[in-house]
Amino acid sequence: MTFEESLETTRIHSICGRLAPGSGLMVTRPFSSPHHSSSVISLIGGGPNAKPGEVSAAHNGVLFLDELPEFSRGALEALRQPLEDGTVSVARIRHQAQYQSSFMLIAAMNPCPCGYFGSTTHTCRCSPQEIRRYLDKISGPLLDRIDLQIEVDAVPVQEINNSSPAESSAQVAARVAAARMLQQDRYRNETFHCNAQLSNSALRKYCALNTETADLLNAAVESMHLSMRAYNRILKTARTVADLEGADNISSAHVAEAIQYRELDQKYWR
Amino acid sequence: MKFDERTYAAWLAFAEIPYDSLIPLIHQIKSAEGIYSEFKKSGSHLHEFIQGVPHERLVSTADEDSLSAFHRMLQDHDIQVLTILEESYPHCLREISDPPAILFYQGNLSCLKFPRKAAMVGSRAASYAGLKAAHKIAAELSRNGVSIISGLAYGIDTESHLGCLDGGSPTIAVMGCGLDQTYPSRNDPLKKQILSKDGLILSEYAPGAKPIGHHFPYRNRIISGLCDPVILVEARIRSGSMTTISHALKQGKEVYAYPGDPLSQLCEGNHLLLREGAHYFTEARDILSDMNWLDNIQYVRQNNVCPSMKLPESPSELAVYKALEKGDLGFDELLKATGMASSELLSTLTVLQIRKMIDPLPGKRYQIRND
Repeated sequence: MTFEESLETTRIHSICGRLAPGSGLMVTRPFSSPHHSSSVISLIGGGPNAKPGEVSAAHNGVLFLDELPEFSRGALEALRQPLEDGTVSVARIRHQAQYQSSFMLIAAMNPCPCGYFGSTTHTCRCSPQEIRRYLDKISGPLLDRIDLQIEVDAVPVQEINNSSPAESSAQVAARVAAARMLQQDRYRNETFHCNAQLSNSALRKYCALNTETADLLNAAVESMHLSMRAYNRILKTARTVADLEGADNISSAHVAEAIQYRELDQKYWR
Repeated sequence: MKFDERTYAAWLAFAEIPYDSLIPLIHQIKSAEGIYSEFKKSGSHLHEFIQGVPHERLVSTADEDSLSAFHRMLQDHDIQVLTILEESYPHCLREISDPPAILFYQGNLSCLKFPRKAAMVGSRAASYAGLKAAHKIAAELSRNGVSIISGLAYGIDTESHLGCLDGGSPTIAVMGCGLDQTYPSRNDPLKKQILSKDGLILSEYAPGAKPIGHHFPYRNRIISGLCDPVILVEARIRSGSMTTISHALKQGKEVYAYPGDPLSQLCEGNHLLLREGAHYFTEARDILSDMNWLDNIQYVRQNNVCPSMKLPESPSELAVYKALEKGDLGFDELLKATGMASSELLSTLTVLQIRKMIDPLPGKRYQIRND
């Protein structure tokens, strides 16, 4: 974390009374994983003293929501404002406050209530209505704000042992850290630090595409019926893909890879 | 107050009297209005006639309030009535053992005169492959002037109707409830689409009748009765679709079963039928040629041109395409088969998807698009 980020996060944790006695500035990014029975107020903030909620406690860090469709509809929809603006306003009779809540949202869910829809090894036992009801808990606008959507099938037991040699987590972490440094360096004269925070005008400046790449993205937007928000978010993802490779410019391969990370809604939320 | 014949027919049908009581009654008195006035007379022989028949609903709705409620529903939803006495009642339904005496319909009745009609049935919770197959078969049959009949349910039914609409022929839906409502309600847009494309919605149930469980297996005899052949796309052995098949066999219709994945429980009904002698087919053309319906030159040409139009352009596209030609594969299997890096594979998949050469399947699997 940068020094400013440390200050912001520590301030919020201090209001919540979450700081360990005697500890100084927080230097590691916070990780917050509220249970799916959490109320809107515990997520967003509130109570008589308008205290910050989990989204603010995760400021500059990670908010992990496991079993996403099990959260209440209200709680999920309340995430839209902090996701878009990076702040939440909490107003109560006696107090009114605006808390920063710029977090990275990570969420996990099953494809259907029984968990086997689309599986190659098991047959799903859910009725179409049940699946529909389950998926409908995630609204279109919320889904649209999730940049990377990835499907993971269950790994058969015998493959856990004889899997092909893959990149180790340490190697991946090193690549991510390098890409992150690249971004901080690129945005050193700006008010933001990473690709996810790019505004529309900054997007044009830092994510310029050549004609071939722009054509590919336009064709994808048309054939996959993507929204304008999705378009911008694919650009940011493509920028990150390029950064991970250490490439200066976004190529069509980067954009094509970024598009693959948005295919879930195409299949499940048609 | 006097009502039109449709309203009295709705009153009569709402009681759901067994057909072996209702049909003699209609043949004897000739009109629903006649039956109503006879029913209202005290001491009429009608009361003796319906003794022993469950007719509580005939009594409970035989008043002006109920009749005007029926009238309003018929009016609001533009529901028409067709009785077995009428000339335009479909001949093929007269031939089944328990024909509906009264049919309610919305839309274009001349659909029933369509010379080529095929029923498509299957599971509501079908596999992705089954849904795709249903859509494709329906569209190809429809392109060759075959009207598709199904039950407006989710899954195979929905895809069959949609495929038929894509192919340009009108489609017929037979419902298991009154036509004043849509069941399932999420298919209301589909129902409207069927009607706007000159299709027909049929039901033997009077407006106001709820979609009760036992209506559906009984309704299936109308689906199979209206057409020939009946096509099973994907069903378990214990399922509503299999009741349609047993109706079809009793009625002497041709039965086709699509050979789905033999390892999947969802297709166990298909394989049971195939083992017992149902016709085997893999594409609409097989059915068309069996039925002697293959007279459309356009179809033959289309089928020859389509595949050659889309070919992979780059070596990586070719590698992925080649790997998928043997069947659908998951992402990891594709990685192994092509030996590509995952980022290269991802971007190749995007390009192939944009060019509409492959389809993503649930579970991060991909297959070659073949329509």
